[in-house]
Amino acid sequence: MKLNSKILAVLIVVILFGGITFTTLMGWWATETSKVPAKYAEGEAAGEYNPADIRGSYTFGDVSTVFNIPIEDLAAAFNLPADQDPAGVALKTLEDIYGDLPTEIGTASVRLFTAWYLGLPYEPEDTDYLPLAAADILRQKGSLTPEQLAFLDAHAVDLTAEAPVSEAAPAVTETPAAVENAAPQPAADAAATGHTPQDRLVTGKTTFQQLLDWGVPQSAIESILGGSIPAPTTIIKDHLSAQGLEFSTLKGDLQAEVDKAAP
Amino acid sequence: MQFFFFTLIALISINHTLAESGGGIPFLSSASLHALCPFGGVVTIYQYTATGTFVQKIHESSFILMVIGFFLAVLFGPVFCGWVCPLGTFQEWLGKLGKKLFKKRYNHFIPQKLDGVLRYTRYLVLGWVIYMTAASGTLLFANIDPYFALFNLWSSELAIGGVIVLAVTTLLSLFVERPWCKYACPYGAVLGISNLFRIFRIHRNPGTCNLDRVCDITCPMNIKVSEKILVRDHQCISCLECTSEARCPVAATVEFSAGGK
Repeated sequence: MKLNSKILAVLIVVILFGGITFTTLMGWWATETSKVPAKYAEGEAAGEYNPADIRGSYTFGDVSTVFNIPIEDLAAAFNLPADQDPAGVALKTLEDIYGDLPTEIGTASVRLFTAWYLGLPYEPEDTDYLPLAAADILRQKGSLTPEQLAFLDAHAVDLTAEAPVSEAAPAVTETPAAVENAAPQPAADAAATGHTPQDRLVTGKTTFQQLLDWGVPQSAIESILGGSIPAPTTIIKDHLSAQGLEFSTLKGDLQAEVDKAAP
Repeated sequence: MQFFFFTLIALISINHTLAESGGGIPFLSSASLHALCPFGGVVTIYQYTATGTFVQKIHESSFILMVIGFFLAVLFGPVFCGWVCPLGTFQEWLGKLGKKLFKKRYNHFIPQKLDGVLRYTRYLVLGWVIYMTAASGTLLFANIDPYFALFNLWSSELAIGGVIVLAVTTLLSLFVERPWCKYACPYGAVLGISNLFRIFRIHRNPGTCNLDRVCDITCPMNIKVSEKILVRDHQCISCLECTSEARCPVAATVEFSAGGK
């Protein structure tokens, strides 16, 4: 059986667009995130939606709908701007809203809040932080373990500076409980309570030069980035944003390299 | 047909940018290029198998296009490369300029031995991309992908690594036909494997062949068709340029067919 170029061209178009049309009709074709996270595959929470799969492209409304958390609680927890519909705020904008903070409040914070709000299993990173209001809401739920409460004590960030959140540059403020309960914690916990120099914490303002100064090999940074680093004075978060990557996704890996290089 | 796909992807990419700023062209997809790249499906296979999720920015559409691409490849070989891929088309257009500049020397600058070795580097690229994507869970290849860069020159998502690779590819295309496809394209590497078992192949009839080597000279991938009866080279892109229908001057000598003939 022989084919000429015209028949081949027709077959390619028919198979390609026919496949797209068929999968569209079947409801399989999607060019955007479905806003439905993966489910836990095993354990007590098997079958439940897994907050670890929440993406920066989700809005707070998506999180509220999928995880059945009142939007008011989410808005209060993350101190969302009062002049916007909280349901329409995308999680990735948290990194912009709180970009001036020395610690990162972003998508990872929402994952943590959602999981612990619902009592679902979730292992936070040392670099994960929550607004103080979010921590208070979780405490009020009364279902956290002592370890989780200790984590909250050391990873709560006070956003309640007097300026509006979009203009404010509030500092990390340890809660009284954080000071009182300051049990020995991992490096980042200590950093939050001021016991480890803040300047070894990867934040939204950290530059590549700072990583190099802290002793992180350039090769290690490039391995995480998957490419060469730009001008060393570039802010890491800006570089990642320009490439369409979420800072919160790679922050943990970078912090791990910083910790590894600790003197 | 190549012009159609090039224009379609360019318009969709422009529409994606417009849609992000609240505008857009009606009745045209505003999907991101990641969502329309079948290689995105390939790199997310590991994560999808391990966790049931896609790599960041990859969606169901990438997976579906990957399956369609594989289906086409099993039937006809890497026709996606030869007939659809806009970056391949872009390189071909530059190649026409290169042919005018260098005449017969065009596409023959690289010594044959070195060229033969370099043809396998795309499998190294493929392995590296798959490993890095699996390890990081992010689409790191986008940072050096010339295809993504070509259609995002106006976008804030443009990565400097992609611009550099695109610039190098552009320059090399003036000397070598489809340099990215030959030496670096990881998706071409995947599809190239189909040349070993595809159903429709390039057949040469040695009984009628006059060995004028027009097919060899014509082949953009420098495959020596005149020395084969059945083309199984992993670099064949099924462009059909070597066939009697296109360039071979002897009728029914080089044909695209299934079965023994």
